[in-house]
Amino acid sequence: MITLNLPNPIGEEAWGLWIALYFFLAGTTGGAYLLSVLFYEQEMVRRSALWAFLGVVLGSALLVLDLGQPLRFLNLFLGGLHPGSVMWLGSWFLVLSGVGLLWVYLRPTAKGFQQGVAVLVALVVGYTAVLLMQMAKPFWNASPLLPWLFLASAATAGGALLQLWHPDERVSRLVGVAALVEGGVLLLHLIWTYPAAAGAILALLAGPLAWVFWGFVVVGWGLPFFLEKRNATLAALFTLVGAFLLRYFVVMAGQV
Amino acid sequence: MPNPKDFAILFDASRCIGCKACQVACKQWNDLEAENTKNYGSYANPPKLTAHTWISMRFYEGLRPNGDPYFDFIRVACMHCTNAPCVGACPVGAMAHREGGVVTVDERTCIGCRACVQACPYGAVHFDEAHGVVQKCTMCYDRIAHGDRPACVKACPTDALTFGSYGEIRAMAEERVRVLKERGHARANVYGLGELGGTHVLYVLTDHPSQYDLPKAVREAEKRAAAGWLSTGIAAAVLGAGLKFLVERREALKGGGQ
Repeated sequence: MITLNLPNPIGEEAWGLWIALYFFLAGTTGGAYLLSVLFYEQEMVRRSALWAFLGVVLGSALLVLDLGQPLRFLNLFLGGLHPGSVMWLGSWFLVLSGVGLLWVYLRPTAKGFQQGVAVLVALVVGYTAVLLMQMAKPFWNASPLLPWLFLASAATAGGALLQLWHPDERVSRLVGVAALVEGGVLLLHLIWTYPAAAGAILALLAGPLAWVFWGFVVVGWGLPFFLEKRNATLAALFTLVGAFLLRYFVVMAGQV
Repeated sequence: MPNPKDFAILFDASRCIGCKACQVACKQWNDLEAENTKNYGSYANPPKLTAHTWISMRFYEGLRPNGDPYFDFIRVACMHCTNAPCVGACPVGAMAHREGGVVTVDERTCIGCRACVQACPYGAVHFDEAHGVVQKCTMCYDRIAHGDRPACVKACPTDALTFGSYGEIRAMAEERVRVLKERGHARANVYGLGELGGTHVLYVLTDHPSQYDLPKAVREAEKRAAAGWLSTGIAAAVLGAGLKFLVERREALKGGGQ
């Protein structure tokens, strides 16, 4: 038996850094593709499809390496049908969207095909939230808002990624609106889950996860609003940092 | 609801003396290594279940509102749920029900993703880092499949643990609650009849389950996942349409103003 384990900084059995990093990669690059399909023409869609393809491939690699038995990852696809398992569905969404994204990048494709791939990409972004909701952790499952949070954050971070190499006034405005939605949804989620998950929320506000949470609020969320007009590149970079911090504290707070 | 012929265990909290013989027997039969633990102010030891500790007793002590002291014990281990969240969450079918309703993990198929660890409301599944797979109570399937009792049940000196068919065990639990109520335990109840489709381990309690930190009225995992998919669909539609509308309407307005 070959056991290959990446050192998990959180230790033990928890879902930690690698999972959060995967959520971030898939969410950000997937969000960029979704926005491109909504707002841009062929060339931009193709380029963001490449980004999203790389995000999906790199993210999947992190997932496989995080397994206790990485070499058995094929069991996900050869081990029968398990549609009740969100992780099983997610594995298929990853494979199908990866193939679709590569195709969009390599071949000239119709708008309809690109939109079909966009549905798969939205499922990749969304399933990560449903996966957490399936678990017996009140911070993840006590409100139905986690998919809203992850999708809004994908729009914010995906927009920021587009801004970095193709600044555009429309997208800049959109990132601002998506960030407002994201902040509102997060606040609502914290209030909604507080009765069931007080421990997690106190850990976020004033406990071991406070630096991540407030780091997100100040650096990843507030600062970009302030910087938007002065230095759009810097604002986009901070937004990306924030997208990672958001996923990291959501993943960790559920397991407090 | 479990089949009346399924395997089942009854834990009777009103008979338990907290001796931990069940813990020792479990370690011995299943060849589980000892753990180095620290006293943290409770008799519970090890403090929580791990890949090497499949059963552990929790201790609750204090004074009731009327001044009577209480010292209660609860068994913490896999409940072998009929509607088991760990089985539902497993993406490879490694965590599954065996004949007789017992939930076990196939170590040769498990990929070590820990979805079951996150999904279990009882904290009964744990990741074995050395082997890269998860571990949990098997209800001593290697014993019960050959007509013997689980090791924990066999070791219990006060008959707080009983093994039998689900039909027998359930009848026994309900009879015991009737007797306890007669003796003045007004809050006596059976835990595990409604939880997670009915659990194959039933508890007779002398107080409300929350007194023992047992989850009550757990919303079933597949319902939460279904709500999650619905929420994802609505969120994607609303956010996508909303952002598109917002951006394009602004543009149309700007265009009209020129």
